[in-house]
Amino acid sequence: MTQQRILANVSRDDFVGRDAELQQIVQQASRLTDRRGLVLQAAPGVGAAELFRQAYDQLFLRRGDPVPIHFALLRSDANPVDTARRFFQTFLRHYVAYRRVDPSLADAPLSSNDLIELALPGDYELISELVESFERERGASDQRDFVRFCLTAPHRLAAAGRRLFTLIDCLGLGPSKEEISLAQEITAAVAKSSGSFALAGLRRQVISLLGSDGGSDFTEVLHLEPLGDDDGRRLVDVLARRHEVQTNEPTRDLIVQQLNASPLFINELFLAARAAKRPLTSFLNCQRLYVDELMGGRFYRHFSRILDQVAPQPQTKKVLLRVLHESAAGEAHKASLWAWKKRLGVDAGEFERIVDALHVNELANSSGAFIEMNAESYVWMDYLRAHYRVEVAGEARAMIVATTLLDTLKRAPQTMARKYRREAALGLSELVSYFNCQSVPASLFHYDRFAAAHKGADTESINAELDMESDLIRLPQTIYAAGCSAYSDSISCGPERCAVAHGFDAADYTDENEVVWLAAEIESKLEASRELTEEWCNRLAGLARECRFEQVRLWLIAPEGFSPEACELLKERDAYGSSRRQVELLTARIKSEIGAADERADEYEMVIPMGTDTELIAAHAVEQIARRVNFRPEAINQIKTALIEACINAAEHSMSPDRKIYQRFRLENDKLVVTVASRGVVPANLASDNGHDVRARDEKEDAKSRRGWGLKLIQTLMDEVEFERVDDGTQLRMTKYVR
Amino acid sequence: MADTTGESPVQARRVGDTAIIYASDYLNKLSGERIERECKRQLESGSRALVINFRDTELVNSIGVSILMGVIDAAEQNKARLIFSDVNSHTAKLFEMLGLTRHVSLAKDEGEALSQVAPQKNAVGS
Repeated sequence: MTQQRILANVSRDDFVGRDAELQQIVQQASRLTDRRGLVLQAAPGVGAAELFRQAYDQLFLRRGDPVPIHFALLRSDANPVDTARRFFQTFLRHYVAYRRVDPSLADAPLSSNDLIELALPGDYELISELVESFERERGASDQRDFVRFCLTAPHRLAAAGRRLFTLIDCLGLGPSKEEISLAQEITAAVAKSSGSFALAGLRRQVISLLGSDGGSDFTEVLHLEPLGDDDGRRLVDVLARRHEVQTNEPTRDLIVQQLNASPLFINELFLAARAAKRPLTSFLNCQRLYVDELMGGRFYRHFSRILDQVAPQPQTKKVLLRVLHESAAGEAHKASLWAWKKRLGVDAGEFERIVDALHVNELANSSGAFIEMNAESYVWMDYLRAHYRVEVAGEARAMIVATTLLDTLKRAPQTMARKYRREAALGLSELVSYFNCQSVPASLFHYDRFAAAHKGADTESINAELDMESDLIRLPQTIYAAGCSAYSDSISCGPERCAVAHGFDAADYTDENEVVWLAAEIESKLEASRELTEEWCNRLAGLARECRFEQVRLWLIAPEGFSPEACELLKERDAYGSSRRQVELLTARIKSEIGAADERADEYEMVIPMGTDTELIAAHAVEQIARRVNFRPEAINQIKTALIEACINAAEHSMSPDRKIYQRFRLENDKLVVTVASRGVVPANLASDNGHDVRARDEKEDAKSRRGWGLKLIQTLMDEVEFERVDDGTQLRMTKYVR
Repeated sequence: MADTTGESPVQARRVGDTAIIYASDYLNKLSGERIERECKRQLESGSRALVINFRDTELVNSIGVSILMGVIDAAEQNKARLIFSDVNSHTAKLFEMLGLTRHVSLAKDEGEALSQVAPQKNAVGS
């Protein structure tokens, strides 16, 4: 059954891509025990206002406690008094509508008398009193007192025992200090009343709405990012159906890409298509409509409204357009704040306001001494180019329309190609961000070895052989990864194709172990030649020099691998080289590990004090656990002994401050993973090399040496032994497979 | 004839010149040191051979095993034979893994252990 619309602009079925967020907001309303606030930090134009309206509708129709209230700050409010009055009336109207189970009242223009008359008998006295007080305060001369009174609506309803869930939409908030100040007052008034509540604002503005305490009343944060491509396509389909506008798959993809999957812009385009009765079945049709909207339609009005707010004075706006255009036209899309201030010629306060407003609306990014244009938004950049030419350069309008249309048409295939490349890319930034000290077969990073051993083999048999490989590479622990372009303009390729990953070898947070992986996916139809490989090695090395990365690891990926000469070069440069297939195998391994870790397994935890044979308690516990997956008696004894040794090691070496040993026993299908951790000092050379030194040293020692056998025993008795990085102390992970 | 030592928390008995010491269920630092002390006491009191019986021992740890090395040293210094009996297969593998079996013999049970020490005892005692 289709959900009835109350405040929402679209039906629930047509509201695309925000199911999880909607559920989180609705759940927030259900919190009965504590007063908690949720803050929604939204990128511009991602549909946050509609999300709040959808949440209101869902809560209204679901019934039960609490009563949903939805209030949106509007630019059309003339002054704080208007806003406050509307706030008060909205509270009463939504309360009465909900109590009467009459959705039509939620958005109806009800007078004070209407509210009293519509109140249920049980609410009559309360509503009458509130309305009378409201009218009395409105008639008084002090407007400030009236505003204050209006903002007490949530408190007064709560004091009368009514449970409310208030949604405050600040997405339409202007940049002025007065508006922000009023929004802060409203937020504080709602936060101080009992009950849960939610606040939505632009992500670069919302922090200023939370008040001086930084939003201590807000315990949940929800980030609303732009839609993904898939959801963008679904949205196009929904809108095409709703507005009866014809599309096809190529135009659908172009619309999503060109409008950056923005629900706001996509919706505007379809409204325009419906009004103009234009099918969107060819790139030409799409771009004609797009340019029309850019020159004088909905896109034009959207950006002009923002720029009018940013720079209300016509002359300032004209200069601003010029400065914006020139900054965007530069290769780096940025300019110094100092140059901007000089060009704009406004006082410091006004300059700060202008920059802040551009920043909040994400037309530009202000950071430090520079201001950088948001060049990722095609619509914004096209608007800027076109209107600079109209309003500043004074070019003929027909010429601008023609050239903009020509440019967007020429760009369309490139836009699509970029999308296809992005989708076909391996997603290097994401892949390297998963690196977390996993040990993986070395042949996955050496194309020559891989080709010699596995070329022509099927995936299953390659994986089986990789499982047997004894030469392993231990990946670093990545702590931050981003595309190369985020570091420098010297390498121009998408973040999916070239990545920088900062991390530590062995997750050991020391200067010596700090490492930067520079990975790039290079294009080559055949095995990459030595020349191409050298060129990319040089590019990445140049990036390392430019960014002053000290210890780097270069990793090149070519679809078909590397020629023998290129492999030689990679060896000379101490760089890794993989084919696409190797990377796919590596990705599958890493993701399956992550997936396996996420799967719910039988897991037991135990904390024992150090000393007085407490390790026996742990040993008996692990015996019971191991029996559940049919380990042989001999294997159970081995696990028990290994655990005992791990406990002894923890007790002997850690200088533990709490004298406790933390153990986790995780049963998976074919293995038992035992983790033994303790706080305190990490024994030298233990964590960094996973105890291999200790083993080697032990082996050299005479068997008559009295101590130091523990780790050697563990390594012999268990199938996998690894020291894991923990912030304080040591953590030993031991795995035994059922055989 | 065999006797049982009552002064030590470790059970022990003598069969001729051979002392039989019984290890507890868990061979760790404490129980290892008790065995070591008892073995040294037996050697000082004239035992020419030592049998450590592990029939009750389910678990051992590396510290307990390392202390047994002290017992091996003491036996060697006193030119006494040392035999471990009734060692379960898991513990036997650990002893082997840690190199103890290069210095000490393992016997299936006490009887086999006593028969192993008999020739030496005879050679020394007769």
